[in-house]
Amino acid sequence: MFLTFDHVTKFYGPVIGVNNVSCRIGPGITGLFGANGAGKSTLMKLASGQLRPSQGTVAVGDRRAWSTEAKRHFGYSPDINSFYEEMTGREFIYVMARLYGLAKADARARTEEVLREVGMIDRAGRRLAGCSHGMRQRVKLGQALINDPPILLLDEPLSGIDPGGRREISRLLLEQGEKGKTILISSHILVETENLADSVLIIARGRIVASGTLVEIRALLEDRPLTVEIVSDDARQLAALLVAEPDVRGIELRPDSLLIRTRNPGRFFSRFNDVVASNQVSVVKLQTLDGGADAVFNYLQQGPR
Amino acid sequence: MSLLRAWITLVWLSFRRLLWSGSTLMVLLPIAACTLFILRWRFRLEGGSFESFNAFSLFLMFAFASFVVPICAVAYGTASIGGDREDRTLLFLLVRPVPRPLVFFAKFFATLPLALGLVMGAFWLYCQLAGEIGALAYSLYLPAIFYMTIAYVSLFHFFAVSFRHSTIIALIYALFIEIVLGNLPGIVKRVAINYYGRSMMYAAGVPEGLERPDAQWFEPISATTSAAALAGITLVALLVALVVFQRREYTDLT
Repeated sequence: MFLTFDHVTKFYGPVIGVNNVSCRIGPGITGLFGANGAGKSTLMKLASGQLRPSQGTVAVGDRRAWSTEAKRHFGYSPDINSFYEEMTGREFIYVMARLYGLAKADARARTEEVLREVGMIDRAGRRLAGCSHGMRQRVKLGQALINDPPILLLDEPLSGIDPGGRREISRLLLEQGEKGKTILISSHILVETENLADSVLIIARGRIVASGTLVEIRALLEDRPLTVEIVSDDARQLAALLVAEPDVRGIELRPDSLLIRTRNPGRFFSRFNDVVASNQVSVVKLQTLDGGADAVFNYLQQGPR
Repeated sequence: MSLLRAWITLVWLSFRRLLWSGSTLMVLLPIAACTLFILRWRFRLEGGSFESFNAFSLFLMFAFASFVVPICAVAYGTASIGGDREDRTLLFLLVRPVPRPLVFFAKFFATLPLALGLVMGAFWLYCQLAGEIGALAYSLYLPAIFYMTIAYVSLFHFFAVSFRHSTIIALIYALFIEIVLGNLPGIVKRVAINYYGRSMMYAAGVPEGLERPDAQWFEPISATTSAAALAGITLVALLVALVVFQRREYTDLT
């Protein structure tokens, strides 16, 4: 099932929250990155039917996200840390299951299933008021999964979870993605989401400034040099060979390595292989320093120079 | 069927959370204070005499109907949706496949038995403690108290869906608009629910010996008109609240 934004604009009075956003999010995991105030939360609220677009349409499948019927098809885990604090995690998820109209027995069975999935089965009897942030995150995730929806909207789902828990939750999300669910994850933990997401949406100043896989996005940024660190036994010779390459925009020679700034990473790497092979230069290590999600995100936030 | 189950779950959830909330404590305090006042006062009553009935009626009008009833209605009327809104748990309800009008009515129908139960229970208790005149007052004033309670609860539901800090606004309304404006001379008092409730009480009590108020300060209207006005306020408040709740984007929840 697809989540579709079609020329969506949202105003908060005179302030624009999102500006003419169009995108179609399909099965798999999509990461939504954006700085505070970029429009990330507005997009999540529009997708979960909390807000209506001022212009354009947001659709869950073929239903408008604001409609009651659309709410059967997504699960939403919000960024807030509020619950019915007097309840236990089990009670909370059970009540949410009942709000989908499940009969008591079905709701109980589904609650246990979900608690097991999010790794809370042994701690679900604890009152939410006394639960750690990580446990509360798991309960939030559990209530989003309770109706086994085809679309999952998760706002910062990994925040506050310990490293072991993150691995578990990441595994759970990957499994859900493999089942063909459409998962939109809004997150500031870029590195982790980078490993999790099949594709990313980067939002800045209310607009989607990039979408696709990180590699695709990075490749599109041709005017942004990529920095590559190369550790070589013969760094000086390698520098001399690479300086003539048309895609190399700068070289910094260090005692045991080279920093190359290249305009077109794809073409550069292809040429680099040829240069190294034909001149038999040994390369100990090669890594891109700013090709990850953080760097791409920062580039896009800064805008064109 | 599944929608009905979801709705009943929501009514029960809201009822249970309201019952075991700070709201219950908040209303038990003035109710207990009035109980102690009546117990002390009863020693001075001369059961069934004109003066006692008059005094007890005035107590019901000015302490109970003008203070305890609105406080009960504020406590539960605003807390049902306003509490969820302030705690931001309303979000968990709004993303479920339950139509918003049903969410609203679930909240309303969870609130009503609590508010009515406490108000009517307290009213019955006071009348029992007052003896014979209490029994008379109970039969005469029951409809007025009933109509007032429902009107207040509906109005405060409207506040809850419309304003973020609805409890504070409702308290200001109950303690300022209702008490001050409801007692001003002229027609300004007609903005107050209290005016219609008291009109109903005067209409029922005067034939039984309740002293007629000074017309310069308070000119009651007929019981039928008052009841119609209270029913009208109830319906309009509910309808407007329903429309607001259906259309409103609660941007303060996340």
